[in-house]
Formats: sequence, structure tokens, C-alpha cells
Amino acid sequence: MEKNLIPISITVNGRRVELEVQPQHTLLKVLQNQLDLIGSKECCGEGECGACTILANGRAINSCLVLAVEADGWEIVTIEGLAEDERLDPLQEAFLKAGAVQCGYCIPGMVMSAKYLLMKNPHPSEDEVRQGLAGNLCRCAGYNRIIAAVQMAASEKEAA
Amino acid sequence: MSASVENQGMVQWVGSSPERVGGRERVTGAQRYTGDIRLPGTLHVKLAHLNCGHARILNVDASQALRLKGVVAVLTADDLPKPMPRFGPVYNDRPVIADGEVKYFGEPVAAVAAEDEDTALEAVKLLRIEYEELPGVYTIDEALRPGAPLVQHPSIRAADDPFRQSNILNEWRFGWGDVDQAQADLVIENVYRFPLVTHFPIENLAYQAAPEKDGVAVWSSIQHPYVLQRAIVTALNLPASKVRIIAPDPGGGFGGKGYPKYEPLLAFLALRTGRPVRLALTLEETFQAIRRAASQIRLRSGFTADGRLVFQDIEANYQLGAYADIGSRVVSKGSYVAAGPYHAPNVRIVGRAVLTHTTPSTAFRGFGIPQLSWALESQMDEAARQLGLDRLEIRLRNIPAKGETVIPGDKPVDGDWRMLLQRAANAIGWGQPLGKNRGRGLAIGMKNSASASASFAIGRLLQDGSLLILSSTSDMGQGARTVFSQLAADELGIPLDRISIVMGDTALAPFDASTSASRSSVFMGNAIVSACRQIKTQLRQMAAEAYDMAEDCIRLQEGKVICGERAVAYDRLIRDYYGAVRGEVIAVGTARGKYLPNHPLGGQAAFWEVAAVGCEVEVDEETGEITIHKLVTVTDIGKALNPRQAEAQDEGAAIMGLGHTLMEHLILDEAGRIQNLGALDYRIPTINDIPLEMETILQENGDGPGPYGSKGAGESGILAVSPAVGSAIREATGVTIHDLPLTPEKVWLALQEKRACENSFARPLTDPKSYVE
Amino acid sequence: MNTFLYFRPQSLDEVITLLVRYGREARLLAGGTDLLVQMRHDLIAPQVVIDLKRVAELRADVQLLDGALRIGALTVLSDLIEDARVQQYFPALVEAASVVGSVQIRNRATLSGNICNASPAADTAPALLIYDAQVNLIGPDGRRTVALRRFFLGPRKTVLQQGELVEAIDLPLPREASGAAFTRLTRRRGVDLATVNAACLARRSDGVLFAFGAVAPTPILVPVSDNRLLVTSLDAAIRRAILDEVAAHTSPISDVRASREYRLAMVKVMAKRALEVALQRLTAAEAQLSPCSLSDNLWRRT
Repeated sequence: MEKNLIPISITVNGRRVELEVQPQHTLLKVLQNQLDLIGSKECCGEGECGACTILANGRAINSCLVLAVEADGWEIVTIEGLAEDERLDPLQEAFLKAGAVQCGYCIPGMVMSAKYLLMKNPHPSEDEVRQGLAGNLCRCAGYNRIIAAVQMAASEKEAA
Repeated sequence: MSASVENQGMVQWVGSSPERVGGRERVTGAQRYTGDIRLPGTLHVKLAHLNCGHARILNVDASQALRLKGVVAVLTADDLPKPMPRFGPVYNDRPVIADGEVKYFGEPVAAVAAEDEDTALEAVKLLRIEYEELPGVYTIDEALRPGAPLVQHPSIRAADDPFRQSNILNEWRFGWGDVDQAQADLVIENVYRFPLVTHFPIENLAYQAAPEKDGVAVWSSIQHPYVLQRAIVTALNLPASKVRIIAPDPGGGFGGKGYPKYEPLLAFLALRTGRPVRLALTLEETFQAIRRAASQIRLRSGFTADGRLVFQDIEANYQLGAYADIGSRVVSKGSYVAAGPYHAPNVRIVGRAVLTHTTPSTAFRGFGIPQLSWALESQMDEAARQLGLDRLEIRLRNIPAKGETVIPGDKPVDGDWRMLLQRAANAIGWGQPLGKNRGRGLAIGMKNSASASASFAIGRLLQDGSLLILSSTSDMGQGARTVFSQLAADELGIPLDRISIVMGDTALAPFDASTSASRSSVFMGNAIVSACRQIKTQLRQMAAEAYDMAEDCIRLQEGKVICGERAVAYDRLIRDYYGAVRGEVIAVGTARGKYLPNHPLGGQAAFWEVAAVGCEVEVDEETGEITIHKLVTVTDIGKALNPRQAEAQDEGAAIMGLGHTLMEHLILDEAGRIQNLGALDYRIPTINDIPLEMETILQENGDGPGPYGSKGAGESGILAVSPAVGSAIREATGVTIHDLPLTPEKVWLALQEKRACENSFARPLTDPKSYVE
Repeated sequence: MNTFLYFRPQSLDEVITLLVRYGREARLLAGGTDLLVQMRHDLIAPQVVIDLKRVAELRADVQLLDGALRIGALTVLSDLIEDARVQQYFPALVEAASVVGSVQIRNRATLSGNICNASPAADTAPALLIYDAQVNLIGPDGRRTVALRRFFLGPRKTVLQQGELVEAIDLPLPREASGAAFTRLTRRRGVDLATVNAACLARRSDGVLFAFGAVAPTPILVPVSDNRLLVTSLDAAIRRAILDEVAAHTSPISDVRASREYRLAMVKVMAKRALEVALQRLTAAEAQLSPCSLSDNLWRRT
């Protein structure tokens, strides 16, 4: 198979990266395989589970439904980009404090969706939290604690 | 071995809920699951399978595929030793790859290994597979029909197997008393069906394998590393000492990652190509690889006029897939307790494991019991209705008390089960007035935990006084590492952050039977406590020698060795004992359920895992949609070693139960193909599907065999969810449904039929059978 | 997924040239939420993918024109939902767009893409139909406008000719007080495809319009000439009879999601519920209250 490589330039977690990607590769695959950013996960591969959620130009999206070539010039934040050196994002702290982490596989996607929610709506109601995370599946079904974690992070921001 | 508190220090960690060990890696995305591991020179593997449920493979032409640049190998049955190596946890029936015949939709016919995934996928498309579709059996009824095609050829069944000419893998018969002579005032008989459902862990099945020296290393999110080791040993004819299993923490298991599937195939590929190989299944392929045993249970129950059970006559047919996997054990273990947590003087149980041309069923949270509870508890409700008894009351009348017999000759009742129901009833306001279209339900489920099984744990107190625990339990979300850290921290007085739990590597961590049957906090917990206590004994001996004191004058307190006036830190003692070159203190703890060769299950259950469920639901009579207003679980946990983790497990189990109760079912077509293959059409509960209110209650009476009187948990929450919801729907609407899931359409249909009946009769019907769908 | 040629044209002319050159081998890519799913499942394997997101003439916003709101081809559903004018004039469309997938999907999926995909169950379609959406097409032969009610030809089939694409969707501003609502039935409360979806528009001048999805080969518009439906206190039996007749215009099938019988019954229930809310909103509009203030509460379940 002749490899058709297309150069793209993307900013990932604050760092500008020049890459050559194949057009049929999703952004998720490129993040995982070419940048070793394995935090974003593939589960359903069709935008139903949210395990691949990242922030692209400030919006939460499913990275499995984006071709890497589309992301030329984009600013991406993945789960790996939330913590500042050793300091966790308040959301990450809240997920730990609230006991929201079980197997952990859905967690990067959940945290990114929650991050987006709080960016847009710093004081969401419980209903709004559910709507914000409606696209993220958790089979361990830690939903109640995940909701609690998001609300905890929101109220801590308020206090800060 | 029942642990009691021996520490003269405080119990600081057990019973509290410290942050999850391994949590930080998970919230930062640093956690590497099996598919995330990158080995240099890895070949990528893709599987080829046919678009039908049963077929004879005539020919596989890989020539075009092999010519594709980047394709390194194509493996089919012809490339494997003859006879085809077979493996399985109970029977060696599963071939490494389809052997002349495809027996389930999704069974791999060929495996392609290539330099990258795209090439492997393209190569799969270039394979020319000639096959002949064959008639198959895809339901229990089809499989049991006389003259039905056999799923397994008699030649691979045991010569003395009375069922070898049928699709019955096993038939188990249990019971006591005399059902046929028993006199009952009320007899009810119904057939209950439980659907085909799949685990749907968020982490799809993924495997890697690589040659290692003169053996092989296999990576798999396997819940039971030593079971996998045994399968590789069997299939590849290698000694266990040359088979290394590396098991990263699974991204959800629920039983679906307990038993080997395609690891032996990968191991062969690794050895053939001499390179690491990686196989990551898609979600659809994962659905095709793992599922729960569906069931059809005919239950005939006899009651006295005042609601006491006279007899239970149970015929439980479980739908297994094409290979046994652990299915026969699901059926034997489930059937054994089919009469439930009740005192029943006459019981007859027939449990059948029925093979079909479908995905091999495997372990799945609850292990055969959710299917039975659906039947048992629904029937109990019907008895209450017909006898004019309260549904709580009828159960209380039949549940044995602690210490009494539940299964004659076996472990007596080890908990206050009536109290579980009472607490569930209180939590949902049992007896209080209900709003329109609302109903409440109560149910109780009982499961037998692990019986004959062994767990070993190695404790290594290192030269600086920090601690390593080597344990082959799998932390798949239940938080085993945290609980084990807590136990060790309290035993040895070492801070939590100076303890590391090493799991998932058979070269490092010793034998553990399995992470299943909710056994790990009891078995591995006891093993770890034992190892820690042996370390303490050694420390005392070391101090006695080092400081020339009598051993019984030495004690341990708050992480130090107290010798007279001195409190000596562990690292100091190690230095004082060994000298400047240092050493360590090492011990092996074991916990074993005794093997009883004459017991039908090989041994008695270590404990009974029991939970009550209560719920209040609202039914939209126009659409059949169900709203769960409140769901309560009460679990008899003995002692919650980490209460928050235990609650999270119970909640998760209950919500998973709502899945098979309200929305999950695999739909097969007439050729055995799964129609709703994938996340779009196989619905699991989302954040908007959980009950409006949930309560999780842990009953802690300290009456378990684990550390601090604990019992295992994690499965009890799922056992009785469906009958509780079914019962509530009945109260709200008057309809009874015997087949899960209770989708809106199914509920709506039942409501329509009820209305039609009511309209065509002058008076309402009292015979509940006519409300059956 | 097979590989393909990827183009990122900067102008409509380029797009049309590419479409004409590659014909059936080419697919347009906007949000990708339908295209990539189909490619992943090997339902389609285009040789050419044309990314529209840098095309200068295609807009990603909502413009207020004289007499209409114009929704650019690249407008994503999230932005549509948050637009105050869409909320004010077309609340049923907001309701419909809000249930398409999840936040992540809505941040990418375009309204134009949703209609071009032409799924019979598309949630936005019934709402667009009752609002008489007009689809502005551009192709090698120039521009033309097609009413949405004539746009769908069958499952995944539209009137788009070779070389044509959607440039914008126009929604004529309401010229009188009206009440509109969207509702749907799904298999679970959470994110799902519709088993049945329904939209209803109520106006004093010409009565009630229904539109349904997932119950015919295309989303369908069913106008009701019987003005009695506008009467809130109408006898339930009469309403039922009228809605039975409305449902008779649908032709649901049985599939993995639902049976024919259930869908047919639910059409009637969804129509009734959408009608109820639409009438409430009509009353509010006539009383000069903002329809938006009602929309929050009307669908809340306990």
C-alpha cells in the first residue's frame, strides 16, 4: 500500500508539533500512535462512548470522528495536558477525592467533557452536569460519583 | 482463617476510604492498559471471520494477502499442530483458531500479522475464504430439538459422556426432599427468560505476545493470570516456567476478561514470526467474543396457604455458546443454589448447559444467579399476590435465620438476610401510599462465593522499611490495590504511600486462583494479612537476636519494634540484624478453600454473598417507558474494608442490573448473526438512565471469613435488580412480564394485552398467566 | 478505513470542480460525524474526501436576513442551539438539535450535514419541516432553492445532483404567532437514536402541521386541515380520531429498534404530546409571552 502522507501542524497540550499523517487516520489514532498520547481511548470508534473526548479549539469533541488531516492548525488539549507539572487540575483532584475512578478507562474522556462543561458553565446544575456528560459511557457505572466530582470541582472554583 | 484485630496499634485504614491507589495515573491518562503498551518491532494482527453463525471452511487462500507489502504472516488452522491444540478452563474444547468449521458469528478463521494495522486490515480483505454455510442452532429450543445439528462433535466429548450425541454439555441435578410427594395449597408454574447480553467493558479486548528467551510472554487484561498461563501451557505445550503472563489492570472486566480467548493464537503468532504481536479488538469484535449465558427457566413452586414454601421444582436451561469456556461452571454453581435464600423442604433442580452456535458465554457478574433470581423472585411475588400476602412478609416467612440451613449439608446461613430485606423495604418507604402509575418492588439475591481455591501473597519488607506486596489479584476497578494497601498498612503500621502492590506478572506475583466470585478481599486479603503477620513474627525474632532480648518481651506498635525502652524503626532493625549490607524480611501468606472431591462444586462456598434490592418506579402507560425513582441495595458485606469502594461497586452492579432489566439484549437473526452489533444499537445505561435517587447500604455484622469479619462484594448488587423492577411494574400497572429486558415496547405490549383482556371480559381476570406476553 | 485523496479547497468553485471531476467517488466532509462512521463500517469507501471547512464562501454562523434566518452550511448544532434568534423564533428546532447525539457530536455535526445524510430518523428534520426550511443548493449549473419537504427522496437519498452541495438553509421568520414543539421516543433516556420523533406547529391561520421521523422512508410532513385540533379543550375521542388519521400517513417498519405496531402507536402518542406543548406555546405567543420561558419546564419529567 502506497503511503499517502500529508504534513500537518497542530498544537498539542501547548506544544507545536509538525507531523506527517495518512489521510484515513483519525486524530485519535495519530495522538496515540504518533505522539504516544495514549490517555485518549478508543472504545466504540463511532462517537457513541466518549472515551476519545479531547478539546479541539476549545470544544469537546470525539477524536475518533476527526481525520488527523482536518486538525491542521488546530489547538488540541488531551487529558495529558490538564495537569501543570505535578499539580493536578481541580477536576482531576475532585475525581480522586469523590471516589469517581474505578477501572479508569472512561475517565480521561469524562474529565475532558467535564472540563468543557465547566469552561462554559462554571456552576452547572445536576441536570446540566448530566447533559454535559451524556456522551460519555461508564460501564463501572460510577455516574453518581462522577456527577459529585464535577459539582465538587465547580464549587471549589467558586470558593477560590 | 478469620482475622481478628491483632494490632496493639490502632486500626487506621481498614474501614476508611482513602483515595484509590492508581487513581492518579487514571485521571492523568498515564495508566497503560494492555493496548497502550508499545513494544519495539511489534506486528499488528487482524482477524478474519465469516458473516454467518455456522459454516464449514472449505479453503483459505492467503496468497494475495501474503503478497501485500508489509504482511509478515497469515495463520490458519493448517499452520498449527495437528491435532488442533485446544484449551479451556474446564474442557479443552476451544481450538486456537477455527478448525475446519466456524461455530459462532465472529470466530476467527485466519489471523494476519503485518507491519501496521492498515496493512493487516487490507490483507484480511484480500483473503479468499471458501465456505459452506451450515444450518445452526441459535436458541435453546433449537439446540434441544431432536436431530438438531451438533455444536460439538462427539469425538471431542468424553467417551463416557451420556450427552455426547446432543447439544447438552452437562446436566446437573441437585435437590433434597421429595418434590413429587409434597403437598401444597398453591402451585404456580411459569417460564422465565433472560436475554443474551454482553459485558461491554469500555476497554475492548486487547492482547500482545512476544517470544521471551525460550518461551513466550503474553500480555492480556486477564482477570486470572494463572488460568491464562495454564491455557498457554496446554495449547503451546510449553512448561509454565517459560510462560510469562503480564496482566495490566483491566479497563473493566465483569467476568468477560476472566478466561482465555485469543491469547493462545497470539502466542503462536509471536513464536512463528519471532516478533512481538499485538491484537486490539474493536467493540464489535469484543461483542462477538464475550457474553453472559442466556437462560430459559421453568419454575414450579408450591406454597402453603400462609405463604411458606413447600417445594421448588426448577428446570434451568442455560444457553452457552459454541465452546464451554467457564459455562459449565456457571450452570453447576448457579443451579446448585437455584432454590435461593429460602427455606424450602423439597427441592428438585435440573440445570442444563446447552451448546449453541453463538459467542461462547463466559463468566459475567453474578455467574448464573441473576438469571435464577429473575425467576425465583418474580415467582415469590406471584405467590404473594395469589395468597393475598405482602411481598415483604412472604419473603420474611421463608428466609432462614443465621446459622440455619439453606442448602442441606452445606455452609449454613452466615448473615442476617431478613434484615437486608427489611432495610431495603424501609429505605423505599414500603407500605406508604403511592402516586399514580407508581409501584414498588423488593427482591433478594444470593450467590455462593468461591469454594476450593487458593491465593498466595508475598510480602517483602524492604531494606528501607517500605513494603512490597506481590499479589496476582486483578485490579479492574474494584480497587483491590487500595484495599490490600489498607490491610498491610494496618498490620505493619507502614504509611500507605510507602506500600506498593505488584500485580499482574506471573514472574513476580505468585499464584492466585482468580479474581472472581467476589473472593479477593477474603482470600487474597487473608493471604496478605497472613504474610504481614509472618513478617511481624520474623521482626520479633530478628529483634530478639539483635538486641539480645526474649522474643515475648518484644512487640510491634505503630510501625516500630518496641524493645524495652526503645522503639526501633524497621530499617534500623534490618541494619542491626543484617549488618551494613542489609537484607529484607520476606513472607508468603496463603489462603485456601478446602478442596472436597466429593462435593458437587468441589468445596463449600467461603461465604454467601447476599443483597436485597428495593425500588420505586413510575410507568408511562402510553409509551411503556419506565422511570426508576429510587433504587436501593443492601449488601451483607460483613465489614466494609473500604466503604466508598464497596458502595461504588454496589451501585455499579445495580446499574448494570438495570441494563439487562430495561434495555440490553443481543438480537440474532436466523443465521446467528448479531444484528445490534455495536454501541449504536446495543444500549447500556448512560448517565441519564440511572435512577433519580440511589441508596447503597452496607450491612456490617462482622460475620465474614475475611479480614475483620469481611465478606466479598461486588456481585450481590446485580443479582435481584430485575425482579425488584418487575415487581414494581406489576404494582404500578397490573402487568406481569416473564421475559427480560422490560423495554418500553415490551411493557407497552403487555399493557395493550391487559387492556384487551379487560375489555373482552365483564370482570377483571385473576389468573395472572393470561397477562403473560 | 481505506486511504483516499484528501482535498481542502478554499473556494466553492474548487469544491464544485472536484465534485464534477470525481463524481460518485467523492464525498463531502463537514463535521464528519456521519461520514466517518460510515467509512469505519465500510459502508462506503470514497476515493476522494473533500473537506469543506476552509471554503471561504461557506459560513459557520446564523445570519438574520430580511424575512429569514440563514444557517450556514458549516454551522454546527451547538452554535445553532445557542443562537438567541434560533431560540426565539424556532424553539422546536432547538429542542430537536439538542437531542442529536451528545455535546461532543453537536460540537461537530452541522445542520446541513444532518439533512444531507438524509436518515429517515434525523431529529432535526421534523423541526425543519414544520418551519418550512428552504435548502439553498449550489452546483455546476448555479444556485437553486429546494423546499425541505421536497428535499428527501428516500433513506440516504436527496435531490442533490452530481456536483451540488448545500450552501445554506433558510428558515422563514414566522409572520404570525405560533406554537411549536419537538418530541421523540427512544429506547433509553440517555443518548439514543429516535424510535419515533415528531414536531408540531400550531397557527390560528392554517391550523396544525405535524412532521415525523423514523416512520417512513423519509422524514414526512403531515398538515392537518381540521382546525378543531387548535382547540385545547377538544374532546379526547375526537382528537384521537384526527391523530389516527395523521398517523395513517406514516409507514413505519419493524427493525432492531422497534416493531411497526409500536412505532405506529407511538406516532399517535408523540403527536398528541407535541400538539399539547405547541398549543400551550401558541397561547403564550398570542399573549405576547416569550415561548422560550415555557420550553424549560414543559418536558421535564418529575
